[in-house]
Amino acid sequence: MASERVTGTWFPSGESRRADAELTVDAAGNWLAAVNGAVVARGPRGEVELSRRVGSIPRRVTFPDGSLFETIDNDGVDRLAGVDPSGAGVDGLERFRPRLFVFAAVAVALCWAIYRFAVPVLVEVAVAVTPPIVPQMMSQGALTSLDQTITSPTQLPQTRQETLRAGFRELAAASGRGADGYVLNFRKGGAIGPNAFALPDGNIVLTDELVELAGTDDAAIFGVLGHEIAHVEGEHSLRQLYRAAGVAALIMLIAGDIGSAGEDILVQGSALMSLSYSRDQESAADRRSVDLMLATGKDPTAIVRFFQILQDKFGKMEGPNILSTHPATAGRMEAVKAYAEEAK
Amino acid sequence: MADTGPWAMRADAGGDIPVSPRTVEPFTFTGTAREYFGIWIVNVLLTVLTLGIYSAWAKVRRQRYFYGNTHLAGSSFEYHARPLQILFGRIIVLLVLLAYNFAANIYPIAALALTPLFILATPFFIMRGLRFNARVTSYRNVRFDFSGGYLGALKAYVLGGLITWLTLGILAPIASRWMWRYLLNNLSYGGRPVTSQPALRAMYGQWLLPAVVFLGGLVIFGISALAVGSALFAAYRDLLSGTEDADLILAAILQLLATSALPAILLLALATLIYRAGTRNVAFNATVIDARHHLRSTIRRGRFVWINVTNLIATVLTLGLARPWAAVRLAKFLAAATALEVEGSLDDYLGTVKDSGAAVGAEYIDVEGFDIGF
Repeated sequence: MASERVTGTWFPSGESRRADAELTVDAAGNWLAAVNGAVVARGPRGEVELSRRVGSIPRRVTFPDGSLFETIDNDGVDRLAGVDPSGAGVDGLERFRPRLFVFAAVAVALCWAIYRFAVPVLVEVAVAVTPPIVPQMMSQGALTSLDQTITSPTQLPQTRQETLRAGFRELAAASGRGADGYVLNFRKGGAIGPNAFALPDGNIVLTDELVELAGTDDAAIFGVLGHEIAHVEGEHSLRQLYRAAGVAALIMLIAGDIGSAGEDILVQGSALMSLSYSRDQESAADRRSVDLMLATGKDPTAIVRFFQILQDKFGKMEGPNILSTHPATAGRMEAVKAYAEEAK
Repeated sequence: MADTGPWAMRADAGGDIPVSPRTVEPFTFTGTAREYFGIWIVNVLLTVLTLGIYSAWAKVRRQRYFYGNTHLAGSSFEYHARPLQILFGRIIVLLVLLAYNFAANIYPIAALALTPLFILATPFFIMRGLRFNARVTSYRNVRFDFSGGYLGALKAYVLGGLITWLTLGILAPIASRWMWRYLLNNLSYGGRPVTSQPALRAMYGQWLLPAVVFLGGLVIFGISALAVGSALFAAYRDLLSGTEDADLILAAILQLLATSALPAILLLALATLIYRAGTRNVAFNATVIDARHHLRSTIRRGRFVWINVTNLIATVLTLGLARPWAAVRLAKFLAAATALEVEGSLDDYLGTVKDSGAAVGAEYIDVEGFDIGF
């Protein structure tokens, strides 16, 4: 090993002046750089810094005095250091060998598996460890913001409110969180029009416009409320939040390796996939609404009548209404009916 | 070294000052797709397996590969960042984003107040990122440094972005000039200053073609959209109200095509590519290192667009596996289109350059994330 000589270039500390040099290791294990036979830098192995091998880029040997020996003879430096030149550690994995194709297959499979399995598991874990104070703060913040900007106090008669509240409590009592797990809030919707939505801590907002739209069909309103209760029960908004954050983090971490255009495509693609995810949540909430309505002796398909009203009235209108988040497709109505039939 | 007269004079001089011989040293990139594929796939694999933690190590290996394979006059560049520095930087950025999103979710109105704060903080991060990147870059054992301040970054990135969008791109060359001057004039190599004075006129010269491409494309698209749009919209409607359960994703794509600005975005991306190549040429060609050596950039815009577009198509079609090939291809192209016009002997000159100032060896933690386009 002592006879090994590596040729390269030597630079004094902090200078770009260079000289052709040779690198050797003496019998005592000292690393030496020599220019024209004269030793210009030396140091024991422990004080000499070897750069890690990456592809075939020049290898750098930095001496304790700050001077630098640089060479393209990576194998030679490996031999001097007593490292296997055919690749050690990460560098060994990176060498172009048939197994790289296995790596490629594994990487593709792994990315898919993470998206398909690991992200959902992590989302479940995150939901489980989230203290109740977080959804509470989120909901209070959202409610306050809405009241300051869009919604205003309800103008529904007290008796009507009482009727709806009573039915709501029955549905809530049948759900996992019990009657005290939810609060029904009446608001005048203003710009958001006929709408109903659930906040993650159990606050559910119902707009006057929606109540008016349903007319005397209270069962239809209960169907919608059952749907919103299901969103709270299933912690859908937290799940969606964590999922979006998880996917965004995955994309961010891999971004440097896929280029900015690739990153853009992944971001758009994940937005598209989250559409399908939120659609799954809607179907799940529809089915749960049917369960709750049945459990409290109400018409399980009443929500379909409400979808029908929406579609007749707003189907041709543009703008922000409940249709944009709760598209009343024919398929969705059919699914509710079929599930109700089955559940009976 | 007495003949350090203004460079602009020298081009058409010919008279009084004895002009020392000028040689052109081209940049070359010697990486190969075969070699980089291994580094890349291991990077991706380990990043995924470690839930992202390895990404800091991956970045160092990737950067070292690209810097180390970029040669000028027989020597290569080197990237010195340490993975832990990058990991810390990433954690800081992640925490800031997390805090912002947390606040925005708890109290949406706070997001409105935080957004201007966020915008004002961005130049700081850009500035520190540029400084970090410069200081961890060396050529022939001497480091680069970047001395740009906050206000310069604010002007180049925030104000520049603002005037570009507010004027629908008409003032983009002014913003580009600010950005390139900020990037290049603040750069130094071993204490030797880099200066760049791109002429606004020249910037506008590079603005013309992309502007025509974008506007022309919009007109053509507008005409065809009238024809195709109504048909697509009808199809979308049918899907939404049809008896068979319309796939929402398909409907969303159709909606995107029919109503959104997807074609306009693609046109804008194309125009931006042409523009970026052109302004890089102008900025580099107006760049002088230590009042002696002149940077040269000769990107052919059509070829640059072709390479970027085909790279993207190949990468998408192979589920990303062609990315190493694409990245190496672009690096080779950019290096080949770049050169340094050297006055006298580069070796003699470099014999006098030494590390100086804060760039040397300091172990600092800094925020990375914004790369200087090479």
